[in-house]
Amino acid sequence: MNIHKLWEYKEYVNVNGMMLSSELISLLHNSLTMLQVENHFLHVQYWGQLYALDADYHIAVGINRDALTDRKYYYTTDFKFWGLLPKSKKKYKHLALLTTYPFSGDPSLKIKVLDEALDENNPDRCPVMKEESRLAATISNICDEAGICARGQILKQPDGTIVINPNYYGLTGSEAKLLKSYLHIRTPQHRWNTNLLTRQDYNYSMDFLDSIDQDIPSGCWNLSLEQNGSVVYLKSLYWPGMMYFHKVRTPEAGFLYVGNGRKNLDVPFLL
Amino acid sequence: MKFPKTTECRHWRFTLVASKSEKLDQEGEEEQELDLEEDTEKPRVVDLIEHNGYFREGGYGLPDSECYALYIALHMLAIKEPISTVRFFGKIFGTKMNYYVAEVDLTIEELDRRIREFELKDMPGEEGLDEDKPPDAGEEQKELGGEETKEEKPKVPVPPKLPPLPKSTWTPPIPIPVERPGQGVNKKVFYVCNQPGEPWVVLPDVTPDQIRVARLTVRCMTGDLDAEVLTFPPFEGTERNYLRAQIARIHASTSISPQGFFTFGSGEEEEDIDLEEGGGDLAFSPNPYYRGHTLKDLLDSNLTYWVHHGRYILKQGRTLWWNPNAGMDEGVEEEEDEGPVPIPPESGPMLFTPLSEDARIEGLPAWSTRISSTLVPERALAVLRSNIWPGAVAYSTSGKKSECLYVGWGLKNQPPNFSPLQLALPQDEYIIGPEVMEMADPTFADEEAYRIAHLPPPPPPELPGEGEGFALEEEEED
Repeated sequence: MNIHKLWEYKEYVNVNGMMLSSELISLLHNSLTMLQVENHFLHVQYWGQLYALDADYHIAVGINRDALTDRKYYYTTDFKFWGLLPKSKKKYKHLALLTTYPFSGDPSLKIKVLDEALDENNPDRCPVMKEESRLAATISNICDEAGICARGQILKQPDGTIVINPNYYGLTGSEAKLLKSYLHIRTPQHRWNTNLLTRQDYNYSMDFLDSIDQDIPSGCWNLSLEQNGSVVYLKSLYWPGMMYFHKVRTPEAGFLYVGNGRKNLDVPFLL
Repeated sequence: MKFPKTTECRHWRFTLVASKSEKLDQEGEEEQELDLEEDTEKPRVVDLIEHNGYFREGGYGLPDSECYALYIALHMLAIKEPISTVRFFGKIFGTKMNYYVAEVDLTIEELDRRIREFELKDMPGEEGLDEDKPPDAGEEQKELGGEETKEEKPKVPVPPKLPPLPKSTWTPPIPIPVERPGQGVNKKVFYVCNQPGEPWVVLPDVTPDQIRVARLTVRCMTGDLDAEVLTFPPFEGTERNYLRAQIARIHASTSISPQGFFTFGSGEEEEDIDLEEGGGDLAFSPNPYYRGHTLKDLLDSNLTYWVHHGRYILKQGRTLWWNPNAGMDEGVEEEEDEGPVPIPPESGPMLFTPLSEDARIEGLPAWSTRISSTLVPERALAVLRSNIWPGAVAYSTSGKKSECLYVGWGLKNQPPNFSPLQLALPQDEYIIGPEVMEMADPTFADEEAYRIAHLPPPPPPELPGEGEGFALEEEEED
């Protein structure tokens, strides 16, 4: 969520009963504006919260020229110092999915991932991961699978750079009810012509991203209309705690994750 | 622009509530003498707006628009149904629609009526249900079978002789009786609606078997009360029963309050707690002498200052343990040789057990405490978040305010992840014995050894000379 609009979005945010309190918004607004000025970011967004034992992690994203690749993630527990998260490695992204115990709240803590090495009676050979890497990997996993935007919110320009659409005007009421109007914010995984040609009214600059209606199983995204159909909420069953809202026919939209950072593997049983 | 149906619906409700409140006002003016009596009869609606304000301060709660509509809807419910108190329990998400759940205490008259109804229906059935029903079905089948054979007799000349069909030796376990309305898991009545403003629908009472099955499964609500529930241990009932069972589980484990906030109805009865009848089912009420705790105590991570006020549901699916042998004692005379095996009574934590006794999950305590404000400690309040039922929260100020709320999917956090119940092992078709056991095929050497061992005894030597000669011949051939 754009940090400069947090006060306006306050009423729309509703993730599993979690809402933004006034104090949290004031703190975020102040400290993230500082972060934006110091690092010369075009956009700064509040990404969400990851529960830990003692104090929760708050995550922010700084976006520069390229909206897909030029992203920097920051974390804090006290809103005074925002630490830059390392780039997530593929190895850690895999290990983060295996780790089930909660975050401790100490980024320098080294944790042992209990994988198959434990079964082979080699507990010493279990891979070790710093909590900071786990945090980065978890965030990157969530972004890959649950980071979404409405169609048209992110544009590909003729020179290949990807930008956040400054003139975005929102989806119409009927478009907003379709899962096809929402796209993954990630490097596309499907072929470019699949994404383009499954639409009648395709547009080269908008439809280069994967749409979420192709995710498996088909019920894993939950779309609901609230406030008499004026606000659309999207929730992922795989990542409970993730929320995306969009106010129909306005540029107001935002993504938020508040949760323990664990993927829900029970989705096939839930449906 | 076309408004959705709910908007009209809500508008109609608003007018209805408005007219009702006007009427109450007028009555109040006309009959001021009767005011006191009316006050006692008026249903009490817990002030959702105030509590939501506190929750919002702590970072949880509902959006204001939703909260206000709900508050009106709760009043609506209180006007229409025979209710003494209404409380907002929470919101449960569904794949198509969400549920808003109201928790309700019935008026005494209505409760008495329901208990009488329940006793009429079920008390004779408790003996009748488990004994009458299966034989009934059996008899019907027999009758049907008998008729069929009678009809077929002239047509079929000689029925082929078949071995008798194997009989199932499995007997269904004795059903655990349902707790009566106003007791245990059915102490409260729950009403749900999909949108604040839609008519409230009452949920049926929950049975122990439904709780047992709900504990073994995970499932998302759909938002349709009549949706089918397809789970592996088969669930008896539709989604309204499943929803009720989940609410009962959530209610039992996430109803918490600061120590001393509630107190037993009357202190004298505390001795009776261990008694079987009514034990642990004592009524409790807000403590008028509650003074509040300091924030430091409430935020203590040991959580000794927070207690459960939801009754623990035993493995049986009841809050009061039911002795399966109690009914058998009467029938023991007939089958004395069997003798009921004494079953140790299940017991759970008592009411008002501190949260520090809660089980931890994977090193994570069952509840996390947070303070709402670090900047202004005077205004701050303590917020607890459940890690077992994600979405359950409770707050308490250092004064006398406390409340809990659930907004979530109705799913329990069970790390590492859910694994469905395994199918029971198939029963043996035959008694295991040497005839049906599989064993290794004999090798050629085994067969040869067997043949040699079972050779007919060699004929007795008749003439030694011939035998020698035969042997000699063989040697010569070699």
